Amino acid sequence: MSESAGALLAVRDLHRQFGGVHAVSGASFEVPPGRITGLIGPNGAGKSTVLNVIAGALRPTTGKISYRGQDITGLPSYQVARRGITRTFQNSSEFAALTVLENLLVAAPSQRGEALWQAALGKRYWRPYEREMVERARQLLARFEMSAKEDEYAGNLSGGQKRLLELMRGLMAGPALLLLDEPMAGVNPSLARRIEQHLLDLLGEGLTMLMIEHELAVVERLCDPVIVMAQGRVISQGTMAEVRADREVLDAYLIG
Amino acid sequence: MSVAWQFYISTVLVYLGVDVMACWGLNLQFGVAGLVNFAFIIFQAAGAYTAAVLTLGPATKGGFQQYLGGAHWPFPLPILAAGVVGGLLAVLVGSFAIRRLRRDYEAMVMLVVSLIATSIATNQVGLVNGPNGLALVPKPLATMVNLTPIGYQWLFVGITAVICLCVYWLVHIVTSSPLGRTLRAIRDNEQAAAALGKNVTGLRMLAFVLGGVIAGVSGAILVEFISAWSPGSWLYPETFVYFTAVIVGGSGNNLGVMVGALLVPVAFLEATRFVPQFGPPGFIDALQWIIVGVLALVFLWFWPRGVIPERRRRFPPTAQSEARQPLPSTRTGR
Repeated sequence: MSESAGALLAVRDLHRQFGGVHAVSGASFEVPPGRITGLIGPNGAGKSTVLNVIAGALRPTTGKISYRGQDITGLPSYQVARRGITRTFQNSSEFAALTVLENLLVAAPSQRGEALWQAALGKRYWRPYEREMVERARQLLARFEMSAKEDEYAGNLSGGQKRLLELMRGLMAGPALLLLDEPMAGVNPSLARRIEQHLLDLLGEGLTMLMIEHELAVVERLCDPVIVMAQGRVISQGTMAEVRADREVLDAYLIG
Repeated sequence: MSVAWQFYISTVLVYLGVDVMACWGLNLQFGVAGLVNFAFIIFQAAGAYTAAVLTLGPATKGGFQQYLGGAHWPFPLPILAAGVVGGLLAVLVGSFAIRRLRRDYEAMVMLVVSLIATSIATNQVGLVNGPNGLALVPKPLATMVNLTPIGYQWLFVGITAVICLCVYWLVHIVTSSPLGRTLRAIRDNEQAAAALGKNVTGLRMLAFVLGGVIAGVSGAILVEFISAWSPGSWLYPETFVYFTAVIVGGSGNNLGVMVGALLVPVAFLEATRFVPQFGPPGFIDALQWIIVGVLALVFLWFWPRGVIPERRRRFPPTAQSEARQPLPSTRTGR
C-alpha cells in the first residue's frame, strides 16, 4: 500500500507478537489530517496494541510507522510525544498526588525549569514561562468547566472528571495528532455527550485525532474514515456507511 | 554549660546535620521521584570511605590498615570527592537497577546491591581494610586551627551547618521548580509522564544521582567527625532508619523530612541512651530496631503522609483569568 501524500500518519504492515500470540498481524492504514479517524473492532482485535505501538509504548515486531513522512518506528514514547503525538489512556492515568492544575502544567511541552541547570537559575528564570502555562491551563479548565477543581488532588476526582482531565492534559501538550483510547469509557451518558461535543469542537479547530471507540453510534457521528480491525488485521476501512455494508465486518462483530 | 554537655550537644548537632542531609537525599529519590532505594546506605558508606582514604594518606605496607587509593587531600576536597563518588556509584547502580524494571523488582535489586556491597567491603580486605574498617582518620583543619577540643567541636558544627545549607539549596531548587513537579508526576504515573514527552529514565536517573551525591557528602562529614568507619556502620537496616525518618516526617516535604530526621535517628535513638540498662546485654539496641520498624508501620497505616505532609501547590490568580472569570459555577468543591 503506497502512502498517499496527504496522510499525517501512515502505519504499514504492522505486526506485534506477545510470545506466541499475534496481537497484530499485518495492519496498514493512514490517518488523514484534520479528521477523526475511528478505530473499531471486537475485543481482542488488536486496537489498543496498535495505539500503543504508534505511541511508542510498545515496539512493533515488524512494520513501519511514519509520521509527517518521517520514520518513527520503535522510538521511545517520550520521543514520539515530543514530535507532537499525544495519547490518552483507556484507564485514567492522572498524577494522583498532584493537583488538577499541576497535572496540566506537567504536560506543557519543553518547559523552562525542567532541566537541572534551568532550575538552578532560580524562579526568576522560569516563573514568567510558568505564568503563561498557568494561564493556558486555566483557559482549558474553563473550557471544560473544571475551574472549580483547579486545586483538587487529581486522585480525588470522580471517574468522569478524570476522563476530562485525561483529555485536557493531552490538549495541554499541544499535539498535532491526538490518540484517544476510549475517551468515553465508563462515563455517564450526559458526560459522554459533553466529551463528544468537545471532540467535535476540537475537530472544528483542525485537530487530527485517532480514536478507539466501542459505541458505534458515536463513531458514526464523529469519525471519518473508520478502520475496522478483527483478529489483528484491518478487515475494512472507509466511511461508516461503507464499512457497515461490508459483509466481513458483520461477520467479525457477530463472531467476535 | 559544662564542657561535657557542650561535647554532647555539639556531637548530637553534627549527627543531626548528617541525618538531615541524608534524609533530604533519600527524600529526593523516594519521596519526590518514587525510587525505592533500599541501598541508600551504601552511597553514604562510599562517601565515607572516599573521604577517609583521601584524608588518611597512602596505606603503609604492613601497616595496621590496608586500603586502596590513599592520599592526603586538604579539606574540603575529600568531602567533594565523596559527593562525586556517591554520584558515580549511583550511575553504576542505576544503570542496571532503574531501567526497565518494575518498581517492586527495583526495590529488591537495591536491597541485594546493599547486601553485596557489605559482603565485598568485608571480604576484600585490601579494599577498605575488611571487617575492621578504617580508623584514626585525621580531623579536617585540626592541625591548622589552634582550638581547644570543645572549640573544635563547635567549629565542626559550623562546617556541618554550612554544608547542610548547600545541600538544602540543591534539594530546594529541584523540589520547588518544574523539574520537581515532573519528578512527582513520574512518581505517580511513569507511562503517562512518558506519553507527555518526559524522558522518564533520564529524569529518574538524575534524581538517583543527586541523592547519591548528597548521601556521599553526608557520609564524608560523618567519617571526618567520628574518625572511623567500618562495615558495621552501614548494614542494610540503617537504610530503613532513614526510610522511617522520611515517612514519619512527611515524604515529599523537605521541612517534614528534616523533622523526621530530628525525631527518628536523633531524638529517638538518643533518648534510648538515657534509658537505664535492663534485660540481657544488647537488649536495648535490639529493641531500638524493633521500635523503628514498628514506628514505620504505624505511620504507614495511620499517617502515611507524615507529620508535615507534601505541600499542596496553589498558583496565584493570573491577570487574565481574573478579568474573564468563567461563568459562575454551581458546582461544589474548592
